[in-house]
This record gives sequence, structure tokens and C-alpha cells, in this order.
Amino acid sequence: MKKFNRYLVDFAYFIKTSESYQRKRRFFYNILENDDYKYKKYFDVVMIILIFSSVSILIYEVKKDVHEYLDIFNSYVISIIFLIEYLIRLWITSSVTKVIIHQDEYSDLLDREFSLWYVVKRVLTDKLEYILSVKAIIDLLAIMPFFHELRLLRIFILFRVFKIFRYAKSFQTFSSVLINKKFEFFTLAMFASIVVFVSSVLIYVMEANDPKSNIDSLYEAFYWSIVTISTVGYGDVVAVSYEGRFVAMVVILSGIAVMAFTTSLFVSAFTEKLEEIKENKTILDVSKTKNICIICGYENIAKEVAKKLIHAKFDVLVLDNDKQRVENAKKDSLMVLEYNPGSIDSYKKLNIDLSTRVKAILCLREDDVENVYTALTVRSINKDVHIMSLLINKINEKKLLHSGINEILYDKQFIGLIAQEFVGRPVAFEAINELGSESSAIKMKEITITERIASNVCTVKELENLNYRVLLLGIHKKKSKRFYFNPIPDTLLESGDIILVMGNFVFIKEFAKSLTHKGKI
Amino acid sequence: MKSTGALIFGFNEYGMEIAKNIQNKYKDVTLFNLDKSDFMIIQDVDYTLRMFDLSDDWDDIEEEFDMDKSIIFCAIRDEAKNIFLTISLRSYFKDATIISLANNQENVNKLKMAGATKVIPIVETTADIITNMLKKPIATEILHKILYEDSSLKIAQIKITNIEYFKDKFPAEIDWSNKYGVLVLSIVHKDMSKEFIYSSISKHTYLVEGDILVVVGYDADLQEFKKKIGGC
Repeated sequence: MKKFNRYLVDFAYFIKTSESYQRKRRFFYNILENDDYKYKKYFDVVMIILIFSSVSILIYEVKKDVHEYLDIFNSYVISIIFLIEYLIRLWITSSVTKVIIHQDEYSDLLDREFSLWYVVKRVLTDKLEYILSVKAIIDLLAIMPFFHELRLLRIFILFRVFKIFRYAKSFQTFSSVLINKKFEFFTLAMFASIVVFVSSVLIYVMEANDPKSNIDSLYEAFYWSIVTISTVGYGDVVAVSYEGRFVAMVVILSGIAVMAFTTSLFVSAFTEKLEEIKENKTILDVSKTKNICIICGYENIAKEVAKKLIHAKFDVLVLDNDKQRVENAKKDSLMVLEYNPGSIDSYKKLNIDLSTRVKAILCLREDDVENVYTALTVRSINKDVHIMSLLINKINEKKLLHSGINEILYDKQFIGLIAQEFVGRPVAFEAINELGSESSAIKMKEITITERIASNVCTVKELENLNYRVLLLGIHKKKSKRFYFNPIPDTLLESGDIILVMGNFVFIKEFAKSLTHKGKI
Repeated sequence: MKSTGALIFGFNEYGMEIAKNIQNKYKDVTLFNLDKSDFMIIQDVDYTLRMFDLSDDWDDIEEEFDMDKSIIFCAIRDEAKNIFLTISLRSYFKDATIISLANNQENVNKLKMAGATKVIPIVETTADIITNMLKKPIATEILHKILYEDSSLKIAQIKITNIEYFKDKFPAEIDWSNKYGVLVLSIVHKDMSKEFIYSSISKHTYLVEGDILVVVGYDADLQEFKKKIGGC
């Protein structure tokens, strides 16, 4: 036995350290359970298509005979796919090796015998917990092909429809909303059950012996009670005695109350959860972006910046803890979260890597204290993310620098510099300003030299920018991190360098296109 | 004798920054304010501090300054008062250069209607700078250096006074970069219309005396270029 245990532990460690096994397990986990995994949605779509095709075949064969192949496809192919999925889910739901290794470490630490019984018990508990979950039961019922063979039970193939709950997120949201009100729904269900039970018994006692009444059994009484309390009232089974009609009146009034209560429960459940649902949706959207700008505080300048960034095709997220400002951002159709930008929790909830997924964090509150607080919060959780901040009062410049802000934006200084230029070189200033304005067709653009471009174009001379009526202002060399104005024709171009050009945007586009295609026939 | 000066209305951070940046260009920089109490806080400034009232008729200013050569900045934080000040100054000084600050686009239009020569929209300008820093960081940095910082790379406006140098040549055909070591960005014609150096018009129109070239280059190259084309 000891030898077996040793082999088992060795095998568990082998599995744990096997890159290939772990990669496969990770892949299946991602495709089945990880909503952030980019290929999961395709898998979900395929499964939904299989479910619907299965149900469609079932509906079709109610009146007509289906082709033999379709029958095989429905009964076996789909079932086998679902079976494989079921088994993989069973596999990934808990790790057997983890339990074995844990037990081995535990027994080592306490100097005890390795308990195989504990391992078996723990693994079975974990797996059974999954097998007995509602979702797994539905999965299991959906894969049973024999339902199809037994005509009476073939309707159970509809269990496959319930599998949709796994793949459609909105259903999960719907159920999570209702779960929130489970106590209220339980109370309502109890009340309705008592009314149905009491009224069924009463109507049966009062009507069963009446020859004019069609309520002859407790089942019919129960049916009548359900139809009446739900306010449907088919009229096929009715109370005829005075006493029975009195019971009917009580049930009808109770039915109105039950319906009203149910409706209000649904409405309030959704109203309460609506903000949370929207918040989760925003977080999900943010997690899909790659180069997002996070604006902290939505005031005048932030509003204008957000507008311009959206226009420049950036993803923008606004964080603000002021309700009114959040409302303003929503009105401007922005992604917004009512989170405190000065709280670490806000960034944790976003669940994204700030240094790789965020282009910049913009502290745009018109209040230096708030901006310093936000910058320090961000810097305390990430050292690399680029932080830009407004400076409102010049006295606080050093404090902002000290808080780890990369770029300080002092609007008064901008105005002063613009005034200086306007006074000194008004024509040049206006010309440059006009060239940079959104309405102008002349644009200044940065073109990054990719490896492909570098393989096509080696020197500045080979750019042939003048053929495209594009002016080359200079090159920013990646290696030296320096800008070379008006470079000589023999200057080498390397991957990662950035060339700064000016010209009509149509010509710039053509020029950029030509760089990638140069050398190709 | 009347002096040439800069008249800055609005004793606030904007006014102070403007004063700081233009003091080298004007002999006399005067800061005007509506409220005397603000002056009590600041003791140590190199500018003349004066009070004014929106109902003033500006006679004293006209007597003191040569308004055709002076420049006026309207930088009062209260937007309504700033517009009223602009319209009041324009009604008195028909040809003066008035630069006004505005908080939003709505007030930009009102200030233009009030007669401001140029309006600087504070929020939009700041937002533009922030967006450009994210969109085109290198271009923004270089432009900032060229325009505002004391770097050897400069932008200049050079008026052509010696047309012989460019006779029978289209501007787009001249190899400015190799010949003069400078880059010509645009040409400003006498009627103040602007053309990019490689626009279609520049390919088919000769330069004439009085045209202004907007040029970027190193200080020494610019001076050399200026001498050659007889610019000023």
C-alpha cells in the first residue's frame, strides 16, 4: 500500500509540473469557464447552435419523419459532444493532483502516514458537489440519448434548452437578479401555496358532491384553484354552489394580490440591480480595451478632453465619485463608473493591468488636493503607468511632482506662452495653429518605422516623401531617444524610429501606405 | 510722448502669466484690476498696477499709450464682465489689438462679436494640448519646444524683400532643406491667406515680394537664410 501511495504522490507531482498537461487544462478551463478568454464566445455560440438544432429537429419530427442521418446526428453526435463537454467540466471542476499533493505535504509536516482514504473522500466530495449542482444535472439529462428512443420521454430533450443558461450571460444576470429577492419570492410562494391548497380542499369539499359541478376530484379542484389564482380563468371548470363561489371570490382577490406583488418584486429586483448590471457591463467593456485613457474627475476640462480623445479614437473611462458629474458623463455617452478615483479599491475592481492596458491616467479635477490624492493612490499600486495631472495653483507644483505625476498641465502657463507667441510671431503662430486645427486638411503625423518598413526603406533618401508632397520634419531615434530635425538624406532608418511628417492628410495616408509596400512588385 | 505697452485687464493667475511671458516685448506692462484689495496682497511685482472701472471712458489710457502699437489682454475671470470690457475697449479703440480669454466656445463667439482680435479659449486649448500629448507625443513635444521653449530649434516668420532670389521659381520646387538647412512650412500671402508649402497652389504660383515664409530651423541657419532672402 505504501508503495502505491508513493507512486500516486510521484504521479501527482509529475502531473503538476507537466507543462503540457497544465497548458491543456488551462485551455479547457478558459474555453469553458473564463468569460475574459477571447475564444470562449465562439465556443458558446457553437454550443447554442447545437442546442437549437437539436430542439428544431425535435419539433420537426413531431409531425414528420426526419432523415436517418439527422436522427443519428441529434441522438448521438450532439449527445457525444455534450458528453465530452460534461466530462471535461467534471475534470476541470477540481484538481485531484492538488488534493494528493496537499495531503502529502500535510502528512510530511505532521509526520503522519499518507491517507489515501482522505484523498478519495475529498476528491469524491468535490466531484459530487459538481455532479449534484443544478447546471451539471441539466447537462447530464441533456446528453441522455435514450430519451430519444423512448417516445414518451423524448420531450426531455428539451433539457438541452436549459443548457443555454450556461452560455447566455443575460440569463445568468436574470437569475442573479432574482436570487437577490429569494426571500420575498419564497414568502410569496408560500402565501400562494397556502391559498391554493386551502382553496383546492375547500372547493373540493363544497363542489365534489354537487351534480351540476364539474369538480369531481381533488386534481380538478387544484387545477381550478391554480387557474383562478393566476387570474387566467379559462372557465372550463367553475364553481357553481354559493359556498364554492365565495371561495372563488377569495381566491380571485388573493390572485390579484399575488400578481401585483410578483410584478412589483420583479420590477424592484431589476431596479435595484440595474446600476450593478451596468457597472459590471462597463468593467467587462474596459477589460476588453487595450489602450484606455482613465479620466479621474469629470469637470469642464475633463469634459473637453474626453470629447477630443473619443474623436481621436481612444477608449475613455471616467471615474468620479460625485453623482452629478457621473450623470453628466453618462449624458455625454461616456464609459463611466461611480468610483472614487482616490481609492485603491476602484482600480482593483477594474481588474486590469494599469501599466500595459492603460495609455494614461488623467487627473483632471480642478482641485490640486484631489489630483495629488488620486496620483498617489495610482502610484502606490503601479509604478509605471503614465499619470498626467492638471495644476490649478502654481504653489502646488512641487507637491504634484512629488506625488509621482509624469506630466503637469498648468493651463495658465499655456495661456501665457500662447500670448507670448502671439505677440512675438503672430503670423507664424497663426500658421502653425491653423495647420494643427481639426478643420485643416494639413496635418502633422507620427509614423512609426516598423520592421517591415525598415526592410523596405533603409535611409531618409529612400522615403521619397516629396513625391507625395509630404514634408519630413525629423526623426525621433528609438535608440538615442533624440529628435533629429531635418535629417540628412543618408540617415539610417531603424525599426522603432518615428518620423514626423506634415502634409495633406490624404497624401500622408498614401505616403504611409507606400512605405509598407515599397519594394513589392 | 505716448508709450507702447501691454495692458492686461484682470489681476489673476492668467493675467500674471501673460505679463510674465510678454514683459520682454513691451517696455510698459500694466495690470488693471476691478478690485483694489487684490493689489494689497501682491507687493513685489515688476508691473504697473492700476485700478479700472467698467464705466470708464478710457481717456486716460488713450493719453498715455499709443494704442495702435500697444496690445490689450482681457483676462477677467467673470465672463460677462470680460465681454463687456472687450466691447467697451473696442468701441473706444477701433484699431487696437485686443486679445480676450474665454472659458467656453459659447463665449468665444460672443467675444468675437464684441470685437476681440483674437480669443483664446482656455478649456479648449488645455484639452487640445492634453489630447495631442497622448495622440502625438513626439510632435507635441517638438512643437512645444519650437514654439515656446528656449531651444536652438526655432520657428520664424520671414518677409521676402528680395524677390530676385526666387525669381521664376515655384516654392514647392525649391530644395529648402538642402540649400538653406531650413524647412518652410507655409507661405502667408499679402492678403493673409496661408498655403502649405506643398499645396497645389504653391506648385503653380510664384513667390512675390511681401510674402511671408513660416520657417523652422536652427537659429544660425535661420539668420543666414534671413540675410540671403533679404527678409525682415
